Amino acid sequence: MRLWQTLQRAGRPFIGLVLVFLLGLILSPRDSSGMLIFLTAGNLSDILLQQAEIGLIALAMTFVIIGAGIDLSVGSVLAASASRAAVLLVRWTPELPLALHLAIAILGGLGVGAAVGALNGVVITRLGLQPFVMTLATMIGVRGATRWFTDNTNIDFGFGAAASSRFAAILSDKSLVITLWVVFAVIAHLVLTRTVYGRYLRAIGENERAAAYTGLPIRAVRIAAYTACGALAALAGLIHAARTHQGNPNDGVAYELDAIAAVVIGGTALAGGRGTIIGTVTGTIILGLLTNTLRLRMVDSNVELMIKAAIIILAVWLQRRDRAFPVSP
Amino acid sequence: MKSLLSFLLLAATLGLLTGCNPGATSDSPRYTVVFSQCNNAEPYRAAQNELMTRLWREQRDVQLVIMDAQQDSAKQIAQIETAIRTKPHLLIVAPNERAPLTDVMRRAMAAGIPTICLERDIAEPHYTTWIRADNREIGRLAGEFIVQQLTAKHGEPRGRIVELAGLKGVEAEINRKGGAHDVWEKYPKIEVVTEAVANWLQSTAKDRMTEILSAVPSIDVVYARNDPMAMGAYLAAREKGREKEMIFVGIDGLPGDAGGIAKVKEGMLAATFVYPLCVDRAVEIGNRILREPGFQPEKVYTMTSRLITKESLDAP
Amino acid sequence: MLSCTDLRKTYGATQALRGVSWQLAPGEVHALCGENGAGKSTLARICCGITKPDAGEIRFQDRPATWSGPAEARRAGVGIILQELDLFAGLTVAENIALGHPRLERHSRVKRAELHRAVQPFLDETGCTASPATPLGELGIAQWQLVAIARVLSLDARVIFMDEPTSALTDDAVERLFSLIGRLRSRGVAIVYVSHKMAEIFRISDRISVMRDGELVASSHRDETDIATVIRQMVGRPVAPRRAPPPLSTARPVLDARGMCTRKLRDVSFTLSAGEILGVAGLVGSGRSELGRALAGLSPLTGGNLSLLGTPFRPGGVREAVERGLVLVPEDRREGLVLDMPIRQNLTLACLDRYARGGWILEREIPAATAMRDRCRVRCQDDLLPVTSLSGGNQQKVLIGKWLLPSPKVCFLDDPTRGIDIGAKDDLYLMFAELTAAGVAVIWASSELPELLANAHRILVMREGRVAGVLDAATADQESIIHLATGNTR
Repeated sequence: MRLWQTLQRAGRPFIGLVLVFLLGLILSPRDSSGMLIFLTAGNLSDILLQQAEIGLIALAMTFVIIGAGIDLSVGSVLAASASRAAVLLVRWTPELPLALHLAIAILGGLGVGAAVGALNGVVITRLGLQPFVMTLATMIGVRGATRWFTDNTNIDFGFGAAASSRFAAILSDKSLVITLWVVFAVIAHLVLTRTVYGRYLRAIGENERAAAYTGLPIRAVRIAAYTACGALAALAGLIHAARTHQGNPNDGVAYELDAIAAVVIGGTALAGGRGTIIGTVTGTIILGLLTNTLRLRMVDSNVELMIKAAIIILAVWLQRRDRAFPVSP
Repeated sequence: MKSLLSFLLLAATLGLLTGCNPGATSDSPRYTVVFSQCNNAEPYRAAQNELMTRLWREQRDVQLVIMDAQQDSAKQIAQIETAIRTKPHLLIVAPNERAPLTDVMRRAMAAGIPTICLERDIAEPHYTTWIRADNREIGRLAGEFIVQQLTAKHGEPRGRIVELAGLKGVEAEINRKGGAHDVWEKYPKIEVVTEAVANWLQSTAKDRMTEILSAVPSIDVVYARNDPMAMGAYLAAREKGREKEMIFVGIDGLPGDAGGIAKVKEGMLAATFVYPLCVDRAVEIGNRILREPGFQPEKVYTMTSRLITKESLDAP
Repeated sequence: MLSCTDLRKTYGATQALRGVSWQLAPGEVHALCGENGAGKSTLARICCGITKPDAGEIRFQDRPATWSGPAEARRAGVGIILQELDLFAGLTVAENIALGHPRLERHSRVKRAELHRAVQPFLDETGCTASPATPLGELGIAQWQLVAIARVLSLDARVIFMDEPTSALTDDAVERLFSLIGRLRSRGVAIVYVSHKMAEIFRISDRISVMRDGELVASSHRDETDIATVIRQMVGRPVAPRRAPPPLSTARPVLDARGMCTRKLRDVSFTLSAGEILGVAGLVGSGRSELGRALAGLSPLTGGNLSLLGTPFRPGGVREAVERGLVLVPEDRREGLVLDMPIRQNLTLACLDRYARGGWILEREIPAATAMRDRCRVRCQDDLLPVTSLSGGNQQKVLIGKWLLPSPKVCFLDDPTRGIDIGAKDDLYLMFAELTAAGVAVIWASSELPELLANAHRILVMREGRVAGVLDAATADQESIIHLATGNTR
C-alpha cells in the first residue's frame, strides 16, 4: 500500500518512464531468434550500468537543488576523484596488503570529493556567494588542480595482478555498480522523506525566511547537502575510473548538466522546495532508455543530444502545476 | 491530454529518425559491419570513414554502420556495449585510448564477434587482428630526413629541433617520437630544445608555437607528429616573420587541398610521411572473415609508409 | 454600471462561487464583506478580468464584458487595487503609472519630462505627495496604494475595486483615502470596497453586500442594516460579543525585561506574569515587531538584560529561545509557514526533534500534529494537503499551532488577527483565553486597539522604540492609547 502511494506521488515522471519504455519496445530491433533486443536482461542491465555514474550524482544533486542551490562542480570532482585514486593505485607502491591499498585509494578519491563539497557549502553559506557562482569557480579550479597533480596525463591502470587492475575489476562489476546505485537511492529517499534533515532541507529550500524564523540550522543543512554531493560525485568518479581503466583529468566534462537534466525531468523544481528521489531515478532511467533506443537503431550520436534537449523541455512543460489563484488575501 | 499529445509527438519523431537509417533497404543485407570510430572530427579519421564507406558499399550485401565517439572513451565503451547486443557479423574498432577500450573489446570477442583493431592498439590483444602502420619506422624515417637536412644546412649533423606532440598516451605519439629519438641519440650535437603538447590539433599547435617562438631565439627544425600541427607551427612562424629560418616536418600525408601533400607542394612543409589509413587492408581482411568460415587472419598486419618531399612530388 | 449574472467558479475541489448575481450602480460606494473563502476576492478578480468564470455573464455599461486579462479590463475602465500591489519597486512613480497605458507608455520611452507632466494630474487627484521621478522602492506603503489608484485613474476608470485597502495604513492615511473615495464618488466613479472592518464599511459605503460560502447572502442599503446583522449574515451564526479576560488571580512573574536595547529599541522595561495577556500598541514603526524579534533572538540585544522564569536569559537565536520556552509568532504568515509543505509538517516544524530519534522521524508525530490541529480548530479536509490550500484564517491558526506545540511559557503574537475574518478571529480569541487559563503568558502586539482593549490585561504603548506608558486595559480607552502612541499630551 505504502509503495503504491509513493509511486502515485511520483506522478508524471513515472508515466513518462512507462511511455519511453513502450517506445523502446516498439522501436527495438530483433535478434536472430526473434527476441526484442531492447528487452533482453543483458541490454536492460547495460542501461543501468551506463547510467549509474550520472544516477549517483543526480541523487546528491537532488538534495542540493531541493535546498535551493546548485552544484556545477560535480564533473570536475568526478575527474579529480578518479585521478586521485589512479595516482594512489599506480604511482604509489607501498608494502601494504592489497585490500588496504585499495581502501586507501578509495578513501583518497572520496575524500577529495567530500572536501570540495564541504568547501562549496562553507563558502556559500558563510560568505554568501551564490551557489551558481561558487560551484562554477570550483568547477574551474578543481579541473585545473586535477590537471596539475597529474601533469595533465592519463594514468592508465595495469592489467593482471596489479592493485590498479584489481580495483578496476571490482568496481566495474555490473552487479556491484547497480547495487550501489540502488542502495544509495534507497538511502537518499529515506533521508529525504523520513528524517528530520530531509524535512528541514525542504523547508529551507522553499522558504528560507520562514526557516530562519523557525530556528532551523540552515547553514549546517546546506553544508551537509553540498558535502554529500561532492562525495557522491567522487564515488561516481571511482566507478568511472574502474570502467575506463584509467584516471583521466579531463573526463567528466558536462556531467553536471546530465545530472541536472535527470533531476529536472524527474520533477524537481530548480527553485527549490519540491522534489523526490524517485523522480530523479525515473528521470535518469528515462534518459538511459532513450539513448539506448537510439543506439540500438544506430542513429547518429549527435541526434541523441537533440532528442535529450526535446525531452527536457517536454518534461518540464508537462509538469508545470496549474496553480489556482490563492483563495484568501 | 497534454501527456498523450507529447507522447505521440515523441513516438513519431523517434520512429522517423530510426526509420530513415542507412541500410534499412528493401532487400535486407546479409551482413552487418559496425565501425566504432573514435573521433570523426580529425581529418585523418574523416578520410578513414570516407574510404571505409566506399569500399564496403562495393559489397552489395553488407550494411555498414559508423559510430562516432567524439573523442570520449566512456562514450565509445557504451556504444560498443550496445552494438554487441545487436550481434553484428564484424566489429571494427579505432580505439580512442589503449587502456579504456581493452575490456569492452574483450567482451566483444567473448560474445563471439570477430573484431578488427584499426591503427591504434589496446593494452592487451583482445582482437582477431590488428591492422597497423609502423609508427616507429615512420619516426625513424623522419629522424633520418631531419639529420640529412641539418647536415646540408650546417655542414655537420648539428642543430636545434622543436617538437610538437599529439595525445601523450597514444601509440602513434609514443612511437613517432621514439623512432626519431632512436636516430638522434647517435648525434650529440643535435639538440631537442623543447617539446609542447598540441593534442593533434592545428589551433593548439599554433598557440604553443607562438609561445615557443618568443622563448627560443633560433630554431632549425620543427618536427610535428602530424600535418595539422606542423601547419599550425608554420602559421605561427609566418606571423612572426620567421618561417624561412626553419623547416617544418609533419606526418599523415593526406591528399586534398587541406592535406599534407598539398602543403608540401606549396612549400610550407618540407616533408611529410604518408600515414596509411589501414582501411583498405581492414576491409580486405574483414571481407574474408565474413565469407570464409575457416579463415584465420594473422594477428598483426603492418602497412608501410612513404616519404613525401617537393622533389618526390616533382619526380615523374 | 456593472452587473454579474449567475457566476460560477471552481478551483480544484473548492467551489468559490456558486451562482452569484450582483449589481453595482454608478457613483456608489459598495462594500463587499464576507469571511475568508466566502468568495468576495474571487468575485472581485473575475469582475476585473484577472480570472475567467466557469459559467455566468458579466456586463459592463450594458455590454457583455469578455476581457482577456486585467490590462484590457483596466483600459476599458474597470480597475482593481490588490492587497499585494502589482507595482514595481525598481521603477519610478511615473513609469509604474505608464505601464500598460496605451498612450503614456510611448512617452516613457522618449521624453521623461512630458511623461511626468502627463502623470501629475492623476497624482494630485489622489493626494499623493511623491514626485513622479521618485523610485517606488523609496516610498511607504500608503504612497504605493495611491500610485496604484492613480494608475487606475489615468485610464479613466469608472469602476475601482479595492481589496482590503486599509490593512497596512496608518490612521491619517486612512482618512486621506476616505476623502479620495468621496471625491471619486462625486465624479461618478463606482467604488467596490472589499473589507472586514465594520466601522469603516459603515462609515463610507452606500450599499453593503454580504457573501458567505460562495453565495450572495444579502445586498442592502447601509441604512437598512447594522453591524450585528452584517456579522450574523457573514458568519451564519450569532457571534458573542467580546468579553474581557478574567483578572489574574496571582501575579507570578514569568518574564522580566530591564533596559532592553537593540538597533531600534531603547531602554524597554516591563514585567510579565503567568496567565497574563500584555497587549502592545503603537504606531507603525514604533517597535512592536522589533520587541518580539529581540525576545526571540532574531535582533541582537545591544544592552539591557532579560530574565525568564527567574534565570537570566540572553537569546542567542530562535532555537535557544524556544528551548527556554519563549516563542515568536511572526506578523507575516509567509515568514512563518512553508506554504507548499503539508499542514501536518508545518505544525511540527518548530520542534521536530521531539518527534524524532537519531534524526529519524517517528510515527508519533502524526497524533501530536492532529491534536494541535484540532485544538486550534483548523478547518481542513486532509492535513497532508499543503498549507496554501487553506484560507487565510486557517493558515494563521496553523502558524499559531506550530508555535504552541513546543509548549512555550511565553508567547509573543505579532498581529495574529490581521486580515482574518470574524469567525476565525473568534476562534483565535478563544484559543488565547484557553492558553492563558493554562498559565502561558502572552504578549500580543496589534494595530487594532478595540481588540487589545477587549482582550488584554494591560497594554504597553510604544513610541519610537521606547515604552511610552503601560495602561490597565479595564480603565483605558482608545484615546488615551493614541495619545501615548503619538506623544500628544492633553
